[in-house]
Amino acid sequence: MGLIQNVLFGLVTGSYIAIAAVGFTLIYGIVNMINFAYGEYMTAGAYVGFVVAQTFGLPLPVAGLVAVVGGGAFSLVVAKGFFTPLQDAGPIPLLLTSIGLGFVFRNGFRLIAGQETRYYDKIDTTTFRIEGVPDLGVGGVNLLGDFFVTSQHLTVIGLALVTFLATHVLLTRTDLGIAMRATADNEDLALVSGIETDYVRAAVWVLAGALAGLAGMVIGVQTNVNAGIGFSQLLPIIAAAILGGAGSPYGAVVGSYIIGVVMSVSVVVLPTTATQLGTTAAFLVLIVVLLVRPSGITGQEVREA
Amino acid sequence: MSDDVGPAPEAGTDAGSTATADGSAGGPLAGRPVLPVLGLLMLAVAAAFAFTPLVVNVPGWLLVFLEVGILIVLYGVLVLGLNLEYGFTGLVNFGHVVFFAVGAYATAILAAENPFAGVGLGVPWPAAVLVGVVLAALLGVVLGLTSLRLRDDFLAIVTLATAEIFHDLFAAFRSLTGGNVGLGGVPQPIKDLTANAETNLFVTLLVFGALLVGTYGLIQRLVTAPYGRVLRAVRADELVANSMGKNPFTYKMQSFVYGSALAGLAGGLFALFNGAVAPGFFTINVTVIVWIGMLLGGPARNRAVLFGLALIMSLQLFTRFFSGIGPITQTDFGSIRLMVIGLILVVVIRYKPEGIFGDPQELGVDQ
Repeated sequence: MGLIQNVLFGLVTGSYIAIAAVGFTLIYGIVNMINFAYGEYMTAGAYVGFVVAQTFGLPLPVAGLVAVVGGGAFSLVVAKGFFTPLQDAGPIPLLLTSIGLGFVFRNGFRLIAGQETRYYDKIDTTTFRIEGVPDLGVGGVNLLGDFFVTSQHLTVIGLALVTFLATHVLLTRTDLGIAMRATADNEDLALVSGIETDYVRAAVWVLAGALAGLAGMVIGVQTNVNAGIGFSQLLPIIAAAILGGAGSPYGAVVGSYIIGVVMSVSVVVLPTTATQLGTTAAFLVLIVVLLVRPSGITGQEVREA
Repeated sequence: MSDDVGPAPEAGTDAGSTATADGSAGGPLAGRPVLPVLGLLMLAVAAAFAFTPLVVNVPGWLLVFLEVGILIVLYGVLVLGLNLEYGFTGLVNFGHVVFFAVGAYATAILAAENPFAGVGLGVPWPAAVLVGVVLAALLGVVLGLTSLRLRDDFLAIVTLATAEIFHDLFAAFRSLTGGNVGLGGVPQPIKDLTANAETNLFVTLLVFGALLVGTYGLIQRLVTAPYGRVLRAVRADELVANSMGKNPFTYKMQSFVYGSALAGLAGGLFALFNGAVAPGFFTINVTVIVWIGMLLGGPARNRAVLFGLALIMSLQLFTRFFSGIGPITQTDFGSIRLMVIGLILVVVIRYKPEGIFGDPQELGVDQ
C-alpha cells in the first residue's frame, strides 16, 4: 500500500478523533480538567447507536442522532453528579475522580453488554478506486501508488467537517457560544458581566458529551462496538487536544488530523514487526510536543516557573 | 516585651508537629530498633524453611491469602515509592507502573535461561535485578529531567503516556520480549530452594516482607529527617522552598528517581517470583490500584498508604471466594471488583480527600 492510501486512512481516523477532541478540549477550557472518563461517553454513544440501529432496525442517521442526544445527556448527568461538586478543588481531584469514574463506567458497560465485540450488519458502500498512479519508491516506502476511498470514508470526513462548521457557528455566532468563550477565557469577568456561568458549564458538558456520542457512533460503524472502544481512543484524543493547545477547539482539529495521519503513516514507515506501534507514535508526538512546545500549536503555558 | 509573644506560639506549634512526626515514626517503642529486628526475624524464619527440610503445609483455600499477600507486599514497595513522590513531594506520577515493568523486563531478559520466545541471557539473577533497578532509575532521570517542570496535570499525562508507550513496545518487539505471550524461563531462586509450592509462597512472603520492612524504615528515616521537611515544603509551596535556598527541581528529581528505583526493584523481584513477565502484568490498572491504595490510606503517611493498599488489594480475595457462587461468573466478578475500586476512588476524593489517616492540613485539602 502506498503513502497516499495511508494518508487517506489517517484523514478518516483524524476525523473521528477530531470530533471527540473538540469536546474534550472544550471541557478542558471551561472546567480546567483533563477528563479521563471522556472515552466512556464515546462508548455510551457507540452502544446507544448500535442498539437503535441494529436492535430496533432504524436507519443510521436516526441512530446517530440518538447517540448524540444520549451522549449529551450522559455527560450532563455525570458532570452534575460528580464533577460539579468538585469544581473548586483544583485539577488533580477532578482528574482522579474522572479516572475512578472511567473504571466504574468501563466495567459497568462490560458487565451489562458482555465481553463480546459486536459488529454492524454489512453496510452498502461504494468504493472508488484510483488506479494507474505510478509507484514512487523511496527507501522502501512507496510515496504514491494506487488508492481507493469508500463512500463510508467520505461520509465520515464529511460528517466531521459539518460538525466543525456547526461548532464554529455555535461558538462565534450565538450568544451561548460567545458566553462559552468568555467563561473559558476569564470566568470571574464573565460572571460579573452577567453571564450565568453555571448554565454555560452545563451547556459545555452537553455539547462535549454530544460530540463524544457522535464520535463513538462513528467509530462503532467504522470498526466494531465493545466496552473498551472509548478508552482505547482516549490517549490519541488527549494527544490531539494537547498538540493543538489544550482548550482550543481549532487547535484540536488540526492536532487530530496530525495525530491521525501520524498513526496511519507510521504503519508504512515502521518495519512490519512493529506495525502495532501506530498509537505509540501518537504518544511520542504528544511527549515531544509537551517537551518542546508545551503550549501546543495555539494555547497556553503549562509549565511552572 | 510584647514582641516576644509573637514568635512563641509559632515555636510551640512547630514543636508540636515535630512531636507527632516522631510519634508516628516509632510510637512507644521509639528509639528501639523494632524494624531491623522484625526484618531480620522474618529473614531468619524464611531461611529456616528454605535451607532445612522444614515444609509448610497449609489448606488449599489458604494459599490464595499467601498469593495475595505476596502481591500486597510487592505493591507495598511501589506505594511507598509513589508516596515519596506524591505524598511528600507532590509529583503527580501516573505512570508508576512503567518503572515496575522496566525492572521486571530487564531482570527477565538478563536472567532468563532458554525462554520459549524472546531473549534470555542467563546472567546470575542478583546482577540482573541490580541492572533492572539501575535502568528504572535511569528512566526516572530521563523522564524527570524532561517533564518534572510541567504542571501537575500535564506531568500526569506525560507519565501515563510513557507507561503506555513502554507497554506497547514490550508487546511489539517479540524477538526481544516475547511479545504478548511474554518471556518465561526466569530463574525462581526461592522456588528452587523450597520443597513444595506452599513453602515457596510462605518463604517468598517472608523475604519480600522483610524487604518491605527495610524499605519502610529507610523511607521513614528519610522523610522524618530535615530532608523530608524540604520535600514537604516543595509540595506545599515551591516558591517558599526556593527562597529558602532549596532548589525545588533538585529535590523533585531525587524524590522521583528514588521512587523509580524502588519500583524497579519491586519489578525485578516480581519477575523472580513469577518466573515470567508479560505485558498483561504491567497495565495501567497497576498504577491505578497503587494510587487508590495511597489516597485511601492517606498520602504522606507511610503506614497509612500501606494500610490503604492492603485494603484495596484484599478485594481480590472476595473475587476469588465469591465467584462461582450463584449465577455470577468470574469475569463478571472481575468487572464488579474494578467498579467498586473506581467508586472507592471517587468517594474518597469527594468526602475524605486526605484519606483515612491523612492530615488534611498538611495535604492542603482542608479549605
